[in-house]
Order: sequence, then C-alpha cells, then structure tokens
Amino acid sequence: MAEATAPKPSSSVKLVLLGEAAVGKSSLVLRFVNNDFQENKEPTIGAAFLTQKCNLPTRTIKFEIWDTAGQERFASLAPMYYRNAQSALVVYDLTKPTSLIKAKHWVAELQRQASPGIVIALVGNKLDLTNEPSSSSNALGEDGDGEAADGEDADGDARKVSTAEAKSYAEEEGLLFFETSAKLGTNVTEVFTAIANAIPETSLKGARGPGAASGTTGRAEDQSRVNLTGPRDNASKEGCAC
Amino acid sequence: MFNLSSLVQKAQSFIDPMQALNISASDRNPAKSLLFRHQFRLPDSQTPLQEITAELTISPPIAYAPNATQGEKDRDRDRGYHYAGKLHLSESYLCFSTQPTSFLPTASTSISSGFTGQTHGAGPGGNGFTLPLCAIRRVERLHSQSFQFALSITTWNGITNNASNDTTKTPVYQQKITIQLAGSRQACERFCDGLKRGLKSGVGEVGKLKRVVSECFSEYLLQGDGKKSGDAPDAGLGTIFRYPGDARKLRDRSKMRLWGEYLRENGRNVTLIRQPTFHKLIRVGLPNRLRGEIWELTSGSLFLRLENPTLFVDTLAKFEGRESLAIDEIEKDLNRSLPEYPGFQSEEGIERLRRVLTAYSWTNEEVGYCQAMNIVVAALLIYMSESQAFFLLSTLCDRLLPGYYSTTMYGTLLDQRVFESLVEKTMPILWDHLVKADVQLSVVSLPWFLSLYINSMPLVFAFRVLDVFFLEGPKVLFQVGLAILRINGEELLDATDDGAFISVLKSYFSKLDESAHPKSENAKLRAVTRFQELMVVAFKEFSGITQASITEQRNKHKDAVLNNIESFAKRTSIRNLGPDSKRLNVEELGALYDRFYGILYERQQRSQIIQEETERRAKASRARAAEVVTGLAERQSIEKGRVGLGPSPTLMDYDGFREFLAGMARWAISDSPTPPEKDGPAEREKHSYFGNSVRRRENSLSPWGYGNPEPADHEFMRRLFRRWDVDMNSALTLQNVVTGIAHIKGKGDIMGSITYFFELYDDDGDGKVDREGILRISEALLFLSRRGLDGSLTPSTSMTGLSEYEAGNGGVVDGPYGSTQERFLSSVSAFIRRCFEYADPDHPQNQEIDDSKANGSADNNAFGIGEDSDEEQEQDLLDLGPDASPKRGKKPTGLASVPSPSENPNTNGNQRNVSKAMSERANAALDPSKPLHITLPTFRMVVLADELLEQFFESSFPASFRISEKLATGPASSSSSLTTFSNIGFGRSNPASQAGIGGTGSAGLVPPGKGLRGVLDNIVTDGMRVAAEVRRRMDEAQKELEKNAVPRPEDEEDEDEGYDGKGPSGGYGGDAERRSVRSEDRDLLEGADAEAGSTKGQEGVSVVKPGNLSPTGVESHRARSISQASTDTQKVVEFER
Repeated sequence: MAEATAPKPSSSVKLVLLGEAAVGKSSLVLRFVNNDFQENKEPTIGAAFLTQKCNLPTRTIKFEIWDTAGQERFASLAPMYYRNAQSALVVYDLTKPTSLIKAKHWVAELQRQASPGIVIALVGNKLDLTNEPSSSSNALGEDGDGEAADGEDADGDARKVSTAEAKSYAEEEGLLFFETSAKLGTNVTEVFTAIANAIPETSLKGARGPGAASGTTGRAEDQSRVNLTGPRDNASKEGCAC
Repeated sequence: MFNLSSLVQKAQSFIDPMQALNISASDRNPAKSLLFRHQFRLPDSQTPLQEITAELTISPPIAYAPNATQGEKDRDRDRGYHYAGKLHLSESYLCFSTQPTSFLPTASTSISSGFTGQTHGAGPGGNGFTLPLCAIRRVERLHSQSFQFALSITTWNGITNNASNDTTKTPVYQQKITIQLAGSRQACERFCDGLKRGLKSGVGEVGKLKRVVSECFSEYLLQGDGKKSGDAPDAGLGTIFRYPGDARKLRDRSKMRLWGEYLRENGRNVTLIRQPTFHKLIRVGLPNRLRGEIWELTSGSLFLRLENPTLFVDTLAKFEGRESLAIDEIEKDLNRSLPEYPGFQSEEGIERLRRVLTAYSWTNEEVGYCQAMNIVVAALLIYMSESQAFFLLSTLCDRLLPGYYSTTMYGTLLDQRVFESLVEKTMPILWDHLVKADVQLSVVSLPWFLSLYINSMPLVFAFRVLDVFFLEGPKVLFQVGLAILRINGEELLDATDDGAFISVLKSYFSKLDESAHPKSENAKLRAVTRFQELMVVAFKEFSGITQASITEQRNKHKDAVLNNIESFAKRTSIRNLGPDSKRLNVEELGALYDRFYGILYERQQRSQIIQEETERRAKASRARAAEVVTGLAERQSIEKGRVGLGPSPTLMDYDGFREFLAGMARWAISDSPTPPEKDGPAEREKHSYFGNSVRRRENSLSPWGYGNPEPADHEFMRRLFRRWDVDMNSALTLQNVVTGIAHIKGKGDIMGSITYFFELYDDDGDGKVDREGILRISEALLFLSRRGLDGSLTPSTSMTGLSEYEAGNGGVVDGPYGSTQERFLSSVSAFIRRCFEYADPDHPQNQEIDDSKANGSADNNAFGIGEDSDEEQEQDLLDLGPDASPKRGKKPTGLASVPSPSENPNTNGNQRNVSKAMSERANAALDPSKPLHITLPTFRMVVLADELLEQFFESSFPASFRISEKLATGPASSSSSLTTFSNIGFGRSNPASQAGIGGTGSAGLVPPGKGLRGVLDNIVTDGMRVAAEVRRRMDEAQKELEKNAVPRPEDEEDEDEGYDGKGPSGGYGGDAERRSVRSEDRDLLEGADAEAGSTKGQEGVSVVKPGNLSPTGVESHRARSISQASTDTQKVVEFER
C-alpha cells in the first residue's frame, strides 16, 4: 500500500485495549484495522501490536494499538502496555455483566496508574447479540466463540447490561461511551474517531518524519497488521544492506 | 568499523560466571540433592547417595561375544574413549559426568554448582551418562592389576529389540561400559555396595522401563533394517501431517544416518552415553523423528515418565468429565495454537492438544492453564506423543521455566527484567537508545521467552533453538535474545518507537533463512544463513551468559519484580472489595490488605520453618546454593504463599485472626510477657512481608513468630470471628475482614457501635440477650479495657499501672490513669447492675409485676440490689471460687481464658477477682430462677447512662482497631504518653458521676490490693445515686447522638507505583554496531572439519581414533561407516565449539 502522503499534520497516538477475556477486543481491532472479521488465527501472547490511521478533518491520527491478552493472569503485564498510552479502549461484553465489572476495574486502574489525561472509551461489544435474533452469533471471532454459545438466547435479546447503566457509569467517570458490534462493524470506526477527536492537541507527539529510517518502513504500510508474533506474513520487503 | 570484540570482552567480564558462584565464603552447605537433580535432570525423588572419581571407558560397540573374555579386557581399556569424571549414585540412577561436580556434604558451593557455568556446548551433565539402575543388566567386577576396581556394566540397551528379535540373526549390540573407580579400596567397596543395593531394588522396574522405551523412536529406528516389526512409535503429529520445513533442505536423512550411527555406538534413550558428538549433533539440529525423543532425554522428562509411565492416561481417566476454569480457557485457545500447521486444523491434532493441556491443568492446578502453553504444547506435539509432551510440559513448567505460567507470571516478568539488565550490560548503546526512545524492550521480548520463540521465528528455526534449549537450559533463551538484538543493533538504533522496533525484528525473523552475507565473494561465507549467524553470535559472543549469571541477576531483581506484582495485586484486590469497603479510606484498606496477607504469609512461613527446623539444624542452611541453580527453586518453597509468586492462601483461620487482631488492637494481645524485640516495629514490618524473608528464618520458632506478641484468646474474639465469618466456613477472606472492620470503624456513630456489640451477644438473633449474655458483655468490656481505653494511644499504660500495683513498691499511682481505669471498672459494674435492673423477665406472667416495678419503684429496686451486693462483696472476693457460678460453667472467670495467665498472675488475678466479684455480686443479687433478658433499647439505655461506656462505644472501641498505625508492643515503649481515655473529650463529664467516683479517683494512694476493692465499695455505695441519674442522662445522651459522628480524615494514599522496568542506563561503553561474523567464527562456519578435538581441553576427553586401533576385520566396516559419517558431517555440521 502506498504511504499516505496527506499534507495534514500527522501524529501518533498510543492506544491500549483492555478488558476481560472473550469480550471481543481483538475483533474490534481487526474490524478497525482491516475492516474485516476474519478469524484471528494468532493467539495474543502478551499483546499484539497494530497500527491504523484515522483521518480527521484537520489532522491525521495514527493509532498504535496494543491489543492485550485477556486471560486474567496476564493482567499483571498490563502496566507494561498501558504505560504512556494516550488513550484506552476498555471493552466489555454487553451480554455478560461480570465483564462490565472487570471493565470498571480497568477504568479505575487506568485512572490511577496510567498517564494523566488518558482518554478512555468504554465500549460494550457484541451489540449484534441484542434485539434481533442472530443465527450466526458466534461469528464474533476468536474471543466470541465461547461466549456466544453461552449467553445467547436463540431468538431473544441476550443483552444483560443496559445501555443506561453503562452510560451513566461512563458519564460519572468521564468516559467516552459506545456500544459496538465488531461482527457487523457497528460503531467501530466511530469509537476510534471519537477517541482521535478527544485527544487534546497538546498531548500529541510531533509528527514523525516520513520514513525516518529504513527500519520504519514496515510502519508505513497503511493498514498492515504488524504483529509481535508474526514473521509468517511477508508483508514487508525492505532492502536492508547488512 | 566498530570494534565489537572489545565490547564483548567487556560484557563478558561483567558476566563472569565465577562471580555468581563465588559464595563459598559462606560455610553453608548447598542443597546438594537439588544441584544433583538439576545437573542430571533427575526427578525430585532422587538424592545423591554416593560419589566417586572414576574413569569411563566406552568400548567399541562391536558385536563381541557378550561376555568379554579375560584376555580382552586389557585391550578394552586401551581402545575406545576415555573420560575422567565423577560417578554418582542415587536411589535409582547411576550418573557419570565429566563436569567436576561434587555433591559431598563437604564440597564447596562452587564445586557443587560447577555445571552452572559455561557449558561449552554440552548440557549441564557434560559428557557421560544418566543410567536408570533398572536399565543395567549386569555389573561385573573386572580383575585388573593396574586398577583396584574396574566395573564392567552391561545395559539393557535395545531391550525391546532383544525381546522381539531374539531368534533373528541380527547381531545384538550389547552395550558395555567399563568404569574404573579411583579411590581407596574402602570407598570403592562402599560405592559398589550401594550400587548392589540399588540394582536389586531396580530389578522390578525393568518391565516399566521396557514399556517406556518402547515409545521411543530410536527403538524402532535401530531395529534391523528390513526387519522392522510392528508400528513405529508415535513420533508426533509430524508423522501424519508432515514435519515443518523442507526435509531435504534440513538434510533430515543425513542427520538421521548420523544419529543412527551414534545411537548404535553409544546406546539409545535411557542407555545413551553423551559424547561430544552427541552435543554437536544437537547443535546442528535434530532430525524430525528423533527430535521428540532427544528433547525428552536432554530435558530429563524421560526420567519423569519412567517414574510414573501411566500418569498421563491415569490423570485423564481420573478427571474425565470434570470441568474447571482452566478447561474453559483451554477450549478458547485450541483453535488458535499453531493454526498454520495442518495438524492443528484437524480434529486429531486439536484432540491431542486438548488432552495434554487438560491433563496438565489437573496435575498442576496452581498453574492450570496459561496462554502460550497452548503454543508450546502444540509445537511439542508435532514431534512427540501426547504422553511425552505431557511430561515435557511438566518439566518445562516446574524446572526449566519456573513461574513463567503461574497465575502471576512472576517468572516471566522476572526474566524480562533480567533480560533488560543483560542488554544494558552487554549493549549499553542500544540500551541507551531504548531508554531515550522510550521503547520498552519487554513488549518485544516477552513473547520470545513465554512461547520459547515458537511464535516469533519460523517454526523450523524455533525448533533449532529448542533443541539447544532442552540440552543447555534456560540460559539459551537469553543468549538467543541478546544475539537477535546484537545482530539488528544498527537498525534498532534507528527505530524510535515500539512500532518501528517491532517491525525491524519482525522483518529480521522473516529472513532467517537468507544468507547472512549475500554479497560476500567467499562462497562459504555466502552460504552462511542468518540463522547460523544467530546461533554463532548467541553461543559464541554470549557464551558468558551462564546459568549462574542468570541466577545472579534473578536474585538481584526478584524482590523488585515481586513487589511490582504485589502492588498491582493489591490495587486490584482493594478495588474489588465491594461497597462495604467504601466506609474505609484507601489508606486503611491498603493497610488492612497488608496486614491480612502479611499475617497469612507469616503464618505459612512460620509453620513451614518450624516444620523444617529439625532438618535445618541437622544440615546447615541450604538456600544459597539452590538459588544458583534455578534462582527460585529453593526459595520458592520457602516463600510459598507470597502473593507475587502465585496462588497464595486467601483464608484466615481463627488463630490467624487472633494474630491479625493482635497486630491492630492492644486488647487482643495476651498478658503473657513478650520477648524483647531487636528491631523497631517498622523495621520488622519491612522485613517480614515485602522484604527478604531470610532473616525471618533465624527468628521465628514461636508459633507467633519472634518478637511478636502472643495474641489473646477471648470469647469476645471468637464472637467477632464468628460474626465476620459470613460464609460460615470457619475462615475469613479479606472481603470478610474488610466488611467486618468497616462495620465497626466505618459507622462513626455510637448507636451503630452499641447495636453491633449487642448483636455480637445476641446469639439467636431474637433481639434479646439473657443473663449469661449480660455477664459475657461485661467480661468483654473488661477484656477490651484492660490495657486502657484510649483510642489510639500508648498500649501499655495499663501494664505499667498494674505492674506498679503488683510490685507494691510505688504507692504513687499515676492519677489520671488510675482514675480512668478505675472509673471504667465502676462503669462496668454499674452496667451490670443496671442491666439487671432494667432487664425484662422472660416469662410473660411476670411481665406485669416487673413492669410495675420498673415503672414504680426503680429506685427502690436499685437500692436493694446495691445493698445486697455491698454485703456480699467481701465474701465474694475472699471465698468464691469459679464453681460458685454454676450457670457460667464454661467460662467461670472473666479473663481466665486469656492464655497462660500464670505468667502474669498478679495482674490477671486482680482483674479476675474483680470481674468475678462483680459477676457473683450480680448473680447473687438476682434470683437465678427468674430468667430475664435485655433488649437492644435497654442495652442502649444502660450504656448511655454511663459516660465512660458511652465514650467507649462512641470512640474508644472503634478506635481500638488501629489499621494504619504500627502498634507498638511491649512495656518498653510505654513511656511516650500517659494520655488515656480521659483526654479524649472527657472534659464534658457529668459532675454527678465525677462526684460519685471522686472518692476513689482521688485516692491515688490506695495501697496495692486495696485499690480495686475500694473502687468497688464506692461503686456500690454510689449505686443508688447513679441509678437515679440514668433517665436524665439517657435524655442528654440522646440529644448528643447527632453530634457524635466522628469524621475521619480521608487521606489519599499516594500509591504511585507505576510499572517501570527500566533501570539507569549504562554508559557509553563501546559500539554495538559491528555484527558481522568475526574471523574465528568464520572458521567455525566453514568448519566441516569440525572434529571433537577442539573440545578436548575443556572436557578432559582423550579421543583415540577408533580406526587406528580396531584390529580386526570389523574395521573395514567401521571405517566405511565412519567415513560415511564424516562426509555427512562435512555437509551438515555448521559449526562447533
């Protein structure tokens, strides 16, 4: 993909995804980065790293996304990933009330421990499981499989967390709030755009020089998934004279 | 050109392995058995029993007549390979190693842990063998003139072969090892006796051995060509779904031939003898079908399997159908484990993965399942059977990667910190850059370690790393990681953020199979791949990274890492405490958390230490040497229970609760004297929980720990415990404790306190407390007040005061103190009286009468009681023993339940007499045949009728739980303040009560022994007047209720413990950029002529070329095979050391 050469000022924003296992964090990122719902074949060890640009009218925000592992015991690694993050996506599964509790814990943790002024968005995922019966509800991706099978009422509303409840909590804590469906793509881009808009101009790192070094070529791929763990896709072919 | 080698030298001087081992100054004996097990990768059941210096001779593996004749033995000795080393005997293993390690009790630490230094390409076991005794078929003692003792060992090598192919003409390769023992005749004989015993007990295991080795591919491989019978053992999914990589490119056939040759000559699986070629063959990469078996052998998991061959199957059967959290988590990941490998797109592969992970989660429920285990196991399953993978996973989790997959993953975090510090030391410029660019290394390197590079490198290369990893141990992960950074140093210096950093490495990994020097004119150099370069850099340049240096670093960083984890766990835990916790502020919650887990931790330590004490005294402390091996193993057992290390106890039993209270509330400390403390309390606190625990070991043999006060054991505490134990399981969680405390401390109003107290004694919850309960309440009040009533003041005023009484020398008793204490006694006394005065009778028929009495003649009644009491008072004090109160058989005396009252007889005696007296008085005053009770309103009224009691419930009782402050214990620290209850807002005391007690209060010079009597006398005479006050004061107190809310300061705890893994950056030591292979490396890479000779010096090996010595016609065959082997070697061996 060609490097975006927008004249608009561009800056990087570090974003971290947190939330209970199986709420669909990775799916959200995949939807945002690749506009895709392909099954994420790679397990998240520690965290996966991805980038995606978000074009605002006045500037371009480049998200450096840390998609963290959801398993409980990985929680103690989280500080490593939310360190210096300017924004965070705290995800819960709106068919699973315990995941909202966990999300609240994460919010508290971030407010207390992360960089001051971090922009936090609370996101209730799996909106597709509410209201309309969904026959293919397990298409929520890697994290969705188990949950969908449990929480789903074959032809009912699987929602267990009301919009009002989550929203009032979000307002109380000063969080952005969205309900999304990674499966259908509902609201996903909106979340990231809202975060991009909410990042104060002053906290933005200066734009990086284009292709600062050969080493950064990989990053220039607009929508490539740069994964910590993945040497297997040969997306980047850089001529590095060793 | 940057000068790399100087940097390397510098780096190596930093990581001098001997520094870490240079601890022999201490006279401590190391944990020899642990070291022994680690060197030979033996199961935990083994301990070193005997050892002796010996020389190993491996006779040429020719099909000689099974029994070497006498004449041949001398030639045997001259022929073949000779290794000098040590022969060790354990319960069921005979081990030989060229590593000069000794596990004798007299051996120094550095000798015992010698194998943790540089390995020179071999594993910790060096050259030699690790023979299960059951694999030894026969041991003969050779009669030799030149050697005192020579043993000829015949093994069960090829045991499966022998059984099935006995009738065939295939020559049976009888493996024969000759060992000369070098030692005094006595020592040799002792060793042989031990061996004899071991062999006898090993006989029964032969069947097991046979079963175990039949799963090894080598058994199949070495069956005579064309005569292969039966199915090949399961060599992993690869046999079905193909092994990763191009077998031709990997030269799998050549490797297989070489291995076949080696195994034929040196034994297979359990009977294998490690010679330099063995290690070299591992370095060049294992052939696919043998990979699993060699992994199993070098990691030692084979021995684990030998110990309990059916554990895997049994575990699955035992837990079939059961569910667990781990299983849920496993299910989620089954489809995501090496999904690109066809085997894991099939039901078969997934099923295997599921079974291995599930079985392990049952055998180690503390670890259960951790993401990344799925990847590792999936990789193992490509090359080995389920059962083999299961045991290898156990070895990984328990020994090779301690703590990596635990619930806190402390092992992972610790090794990340260690890795960072190694980078800082070896590549200071790169490190500087990382710090400046604010790139956190572990976001990149964590997956390397956690999934053993399997998920980072292309599989074929990751398996090459694993080959060496299982042989040499965890240090390999560090060496490879450092080499990756070194090789990519230049580009990494250009990367300015996480993303760029990751991208550089990702691109590097994807090109590992390309030439490292594509533009080189030298064809050989051009042929060197990046992966080969990586291996050379890892094991050449970073050969200074040894197990010992890793261990040293782990010890250095361990506490910081654990503290980080613990503070994280604390934050999380406190946040999860629920709504009740909101009544306490963050600081209090934090302090409660510390206290709670501190007590649990200490108690666990203590019980363990007491348990170990006998053993420890016999053998001096062994902690130190154990650390050298794993850095964790030994201390892990000692520090078990530390929150950061993983699952720790979360429940507090009653004894723990007593200790917990004793740490907070002065009244919860028993009256027996406490041993003097060396450290101040703050100091002690620091060391006991979050600090190093080693010093604790010296201290604590008492069940409560050294210097800790012994907690009291009073009925009140048991009631409190029951009340807090809402789950009724005789144990408290942190949640229970916080809720309990929050209800006492957090209410801030007197009515709440009074109600709480009342409810504690309302056993059946019917809103009534009977006579018995009233007496118990009064006992509790005395118990709680016996050390003074201050909310947060010095602990020992009462002690001081009482000891002055008992000493009887003073005469001068501190005025304010004495009066407060005594006044409280009188208040309690009045409380009892009033309780009975206003109590309701139980029987309805009496109700009317009592009502009228209560309404009409309260004063009279009170007076009567007072009189009675007055008269009987003398008698009670003098005569009445505990038996006199039949209704109170369980607890006849007020404070008798305090542990070991005899240690402080006078103090206790006084108090006991007092409470007894009052109880008896009350009893005597009432007709026991008339059951009665008080209700909460009555109780409240009675409490509020007395200023002191009111104060007590309003502030003193809640304040006696001192969460945040350190509780100074022991009489020594008492002098600081004599401020007591009277100082806290006692100024507004009622003139009436003041007057009533005034006589006694001013009698500061009451002679010892008389004081309490006097108090009581006064109480009684004042009884009527006090009773008359009750109603009036009830009204007053009621009015004051609103004002009573005591706001507590909401201190925000500044818990600023961010996660910061980075230490100070290193200086500009050198240049990290030059990374092309140096000339000596190049030699190695060209080195098809890699012969064992180069290791000669290090290994103490003398190699006699077999070709020169083999005399017979067999030689031609041998020569051919050897030349075949060496041409193969030419092609395959990439480098050697």
